[in-house]
Amino acid sequence: MTYTLHAAHLYGDLMNTYGDIGNILAMRYYAKAVDADITVDLVSLDDPFDADKYDFALFGGGQDYEQTIVSKDLQTKKAALTAYIENGGPMLAICGGFQMLGHYYIGAHGEKIAGIGALDHYTLSQDNNRFIGNITIENTETNQTYYGFENHNGTTFLGEGERPLGKVLQGNGNNGKDQTEGVIYKNTFGSYFHGPILARNEALAKRILKLALERKYADADFSALDQLNEDLTKNVVTKP
Amino acid sequence: MSINSTLATWTGKSAYWFLHTFRGGGSSLPGKLALKLDPTILKHLAKNYDVIVITGTNGKTLTTALTVKVLREQYPDILTNPSGSNMKQGIVTTFLRAPKSHQKPLAVLEVDEANVIMVTKYITPKAFVFTNIFRDQMDRYGEIYTTYQKILDGVALAPEATIIANGDLPLFNSKTLPNPILYYGFDYQEDEEQQAPANTDGLLCPRCQHILHYHSRTYSNMGKYYCPHCGFERPQLTYKLNALTEMAPTSSDFEINGQAMHLNIGGQYNIYNALAAYAVGRYMDVPATQIAHALSENDEQVFGRQEIFHVGDKDVTLILVKNPVGLNQVLQMIQTDDRPFSFAALLNANYADGIDTSWIWDGDFEKLPELNIPAYISGGERYRDITFRLKVAGVPEDQLTIIPDLTEMTAAIQKLPTKQVYVVATYTAMLQLRKELASQGIIDGGMA
Repeated sequence: MTYTLHAAHLYGDLMNTYGDIGNILAMRYYAKAVDADITVDLVSLDDPFDADKYDFALFGGGQDYEQTIVSKDLQTKKAALTAYIENGGPMLAICGGFQMLGHYYIGAHGEKIAGIGALDHYTLSQDNNRFIGNITIENTETNQTYYGFENHNGTTFLGEGERPLGKVLQGNGNNGKDQTEGVIYKNTFGSYFHGPILARNEALAKRILKLALERKYADADFSALDQLNEDLTKNVVTKP
Repeated sequence: MSINSTLATWTGKSAYWFLHTFRGGGSSLPGKLALKLDPTILKHLAKNYDVIVITGTNGKTLTTALTVKVLREQYPDILTNPSGSNMKQGIVTTFLRAPKSHQKPLAVLEVDEANVIMVTKYITPKAFVFTNIFRDQMDRYGEIYTTYQKILDGVALAPEATIIANGDLPLFNSKTLPNPILYYGFDYQEDEEQQAPANTDGLLCPRCQHILHYHSRTYSNMGKYYCPHCGFERPQLTYKLNALTEMAPTSSDFEINGQAMHLNIGGQYNIYNALAAYAVGRYMDVPATQIAHALSENDEQVFGRQEIFHVGDKDVTLILVKNPVGLNQVLQMIQTDDRPFSFAALLNANYADGIDTSWIWDGDFEKLPELNIPAYISGGERYRDITFRLKVAGVPEDQLTIIPDLTEMTAAIQKLPTKQVYVVATYTAMLQLRKELASQGIIDGGMA
């Protein structure tokens, strides 16, 4: 292949509770259309994060117990991850990953668990309630509609300089109150969407893929991605 | 016996008789009625029984069926609950419909993880069997740790009961319990240093929170695990699978503690179920040769979640899938088929399926293109999700037929180029397909 993106799957062995790896699989699938491949490194406990090596990072969600372990280790990667984000490195953070890029979240037993504060949001917890169900949002900058499944106890509140990924049309979103869902900051995208989000939302997958490709290969033309339209109705058999 | 429990028993038994005789059913309503009249009815109903409780995420139903077969070699009088009736009402109904017994009978009960405590509040089991705990419909119970804790909350009321647990699963070695514990596991491979694939759940050492390594691994996070950091390791196994001779789609040959066994069911996960049944059998003093005899009997009843039927000239194997570990096991099993076959995946997302379909992305569909499968079907209410999943896995578009409406499945199956067809389906997709098959007279109408 002509182009290669190097992806870091942050704590993929601890933070991959809802098929988060599907985000990379979907991106790789679309990448093929422009002759690009994606390699993946697992960057986990005690591994350094090399901000210069990676063109994309995925930070998924985990179980409560695993997340408390990740929170501690994450502090050793705080500087490198913050630099990567500030330099416009493309990143997708889902659920727990999204929470931990912010200042802190409140754990299952009411304890405050540290994030890295690379992004300006924070996350509280609900008493005996989870937001569970299908969710639809609209990204008002592109008028794109995204579909997903949310399943979270945390309620996240965005800070200064953070835009939501979308406005909630159906479901709860970040906190069930302000109609925001997820976050966009520079080239970092955060969301509570499972599904996985890039597998169910072609437009967003191609947007993030294109960002990563154009950032690495500034002179190449990836506009073919815009023409791509995954057809899931081909070969459909319906009642005669 | 109190007046309440007498009345409750009489009401429940009458309701069961009525429903069973006139409606051909009655799996939970009699229990519900009896519980209304006497919430402690189970204590009364089960007081003469030696009870064995089988719980865990995957394999409960088949382990229960195999355990009953094994124990019948020695104990003629065994009560068990039908598949799916594994919550409180179904268990009460099971005892209500039991015939009178004069000796001390055995009850082998499949119990839902969260319902163990509902049982142990009233019954002190002789033994518990823990099959495994995997991520399963997390919209229901949550995480593997909370699921295990739910089981242990129930076990805490019976601290003298023996636990017979899968020793290959690290979680079952994570807590110190007062109960005697016997472990079973796989022990047939040479040691070879390895780690589990990154998207495996439950890889943290419960003692020091480092990533577990393996000397040998069966699937998911199960195997001869150890922690290079603190020395935590798999416990001593009392019941060992010491040789795996042959695995085919519909049978397996292996040795447990030196005793050769033949099982008329395929799949490594079913060998674990047989191993659990063997462990219970030995614990209850059934001789190993008799266990081998029981397990080798050809008995359609124990196919459980795997069913074979014929559509035209096609031999179709229908397999229920509900989580990535189960799905990966099925994919591994069909790989052992040396005949050409076609493959269909049917996905729904109703409550009984699990309403979040994300888990299909942890399934190892990437294996499919390596198997020289000439034709694929994707279908069900969430056909878009499963179709895209298969395409991303590398299934060629021109070999893929998409069937959103499952009433079209039999016609589509007949058009497939191979005699063998594997269909994996989530729960309600399986029910819809079975309903269509029944309406065409291909299978009978009752639930498997």
